[in-house]
Amino acid sequence: MKSSYAYYPGCLASLSQKELDTSTRAIAERLGFELVDIPGFTCCGAGDVHEARPEYYLHLNARILGQAEQLGQDTLLTICNVCTLNLRQADRKLKDDPELLARVNDNLREVGAATYSGGVEVRHLLWEIAEGEGYERLKQVASKPLTGLRVAPFYGCQILRPSKLLGFEDPDRPQSLERIIEACGAEPVDYPSKIRCCGFPIVLAREEVALGELIQPLAEAKEAGADMIVTPCPLCHLSLDAWQGKASREADLEFDLPILHLAQLVGAAAGLSYDELLFKRHVVKVDPVVHKIYAEH
Amino acid sequence: MQVTLKIQRYNPETEAGGVETYTVDAAEEATLLDVLDVIKDEVDGSLSYRKSCRMAVCGSCGMRMDGAAVLACKTPVKPLVDEGHVPVISPMGNLPVIKDLVVDMGPFWEKFRAIKPYLDDTDSDPPVKEWRVQQEELDQIMKEALCIQCGCCVSECNSMEADPDFLGPAALAKAARFVYDVRDRGGKSRLELVNGQHGVWDCTRCYFCQERCPKGVDPRDAIAKVGARIYQEGMHGDRGARHAKVFVKSTYKTGYLLETNLVPETVGAVAAIKDIPFAMKLVRAGKVPNPLKPHKAKKLDEVNKLNKLVGEQEKDELRRASAGPARGD
Repeated sequence: MKSSYAYYPGCLASLSQKELDTSTRAIAERLGFELVDIPGFTCCGAGDVHEARPEYYLHLNARILGQAEQLGQDTLLTICNVCTLNLRQADRKLKDDPELLARVNDNLREVGAATYSGGVEVRHLLWEIAEGEGYERLKQVASKPLTGLRVAPFYGCQILRPSKLLGFEDPDRPQSLERIIEACGAEPVDYPSKIRCCGFPIVLAREEVALGELIQPLAEAKEAGADMIVTPCPLCHLSLDAWQGKASREADLEFDLPILHLAQLVGAAAGLSYDELLFKRHVVKVDPVVHKIYAEH
Repeated sequence: MQVTLKIQRYNPETEAGGVETYTVDAAEEATLLDVLDVIKDEVDGSLSYRKSCRMAVCGSCGMRMDGAAVLACKTPVKPLVDEGHVPVISPMGNLPVIKDLVVDMGPFWEKFRAIKPYLDDTDSDPPVKEWRVQQEELDQIMKEALCIQCGCCVSECNSMEADPDFLGPAALAKAARFVYDVRDRGGKSRLELVNGQHGVWDCTRCYFCQERCPKGVDPRDAIAKVGARIYQEGMHGDRGARHAKVFVKSTYKTGYLLETNLVPETVGAVAAIKDIPFAMKLVRAGKVPNPLKPHKAKKLDEVNKLNKLVGEQEKDELRRASAGPARGD
């Protein structure tokens, strides 16, 4: 485990999902992770730029990796599944093809941007605290066990698949979130859809298809008796949280499931306050469940 | 070696179903298909499944093991026996079940036909000699050409479960194989077949297809290749392409996703207005950043220049790709 990272919050955690960035910074301090900001980073382009303009996507991501390298860091920490896959895909492509890397660097040099020599590994926060020394530190900081809370893990797609690019754990039987939930003193709830898609990438272009995908995990988690869902991805979070009302109407089912970011769950177990973790910034109100943790709310 | 399997049965005549457990003796090197053969030969002749080549070439024996699509002939059972695990074998998903492990591939082939899986060369004079396809041109479609049409990707497609008419990973990967074939002259009319409702923009990028494909076709990557060609040909009418356009613009306008542009520019003003009550819920939770004061990345001039420079290179590449193959001499 490392203690110093180039920190890449990405777009959503810098904007609409600000509570994720704030709670990540708060738990990093407790965990003893030094997060080094990357000046001038941009959006990774998500699946959209990757699909529409793969060459431009590659350059955008090479620039971000180069910026991390310029900071003298060899590990870039992500807190979003889409950023993780996008950056790892670009990194793999560039490392596997020296000619391509040289061509991309020529372009980066021409516009005055940081170039990349291939010395960075992209890691998601989940992986850093689910095993090894990070996990030991997590157990130490989780001093306020979330006893009695039933938490359903929702992994999202792009932290599991394609496994040849991500490869942290068995994509069909992941256990990292369960381990973290247990370390936080809560009880993990198992349900088959925890590895399926939340539908978010197409929620604006094909809302009806996306909702069709979103209903299943919500319904299964509810059925399994979960008090809340936790996810390592801000896009899954937005889908499960902001679109939950629409999914509920579409399915004619009451879900009422608060959705926590991974960093918020860890933060709550580490004794960080309701305000520090920005729990007020949720569409599905977390108070009825979170009040079990914070008696004052 | 003793092998135990649980098999999902279905008899269409009686509509009887349920899971049956079978234990048989099999060779150490037995595949799942070999074990099914032993069960059929020695225990229950009524068990139905498809098979032919037994060497992962014909694509007949796609089925699910513990909920994940596999080719039975390519799946050794010894690791499961060593673990003491009893797998559940069931038919592939997203296709109607005919009997036991046999699915109706009809809808699969219909979608295949819809993308016109053959070379369109109507636009060109017949060559005096053969077309010369260069190695690097072949490399562009090599992965997609490896598809054996087994249906394992389609079985696992999350979007297709929500929209059964979605063309899906197998048909779209085949489309990529022709779109990127330098001999094909289908151009935009070929792209129209896979653009629009139930086409490429239905894909939710769950990567289940890529995870399950037993031949390394990487169907999700193939879908993205088709999307790229649609986008770069300037076909921006679909909501999916318009969504992508906002992301591209965001990268060099502010460096961060222009979240407040995303809804109106993807779905159009009218649909956006209809959704105002929903938007207000997001505003109340603090989820909507102030559009008048967008968050801006530093060093944006670098990204602006990069967009233009790489944009020109992309156009050159598209011109080269549209020029067609070299003639034989």
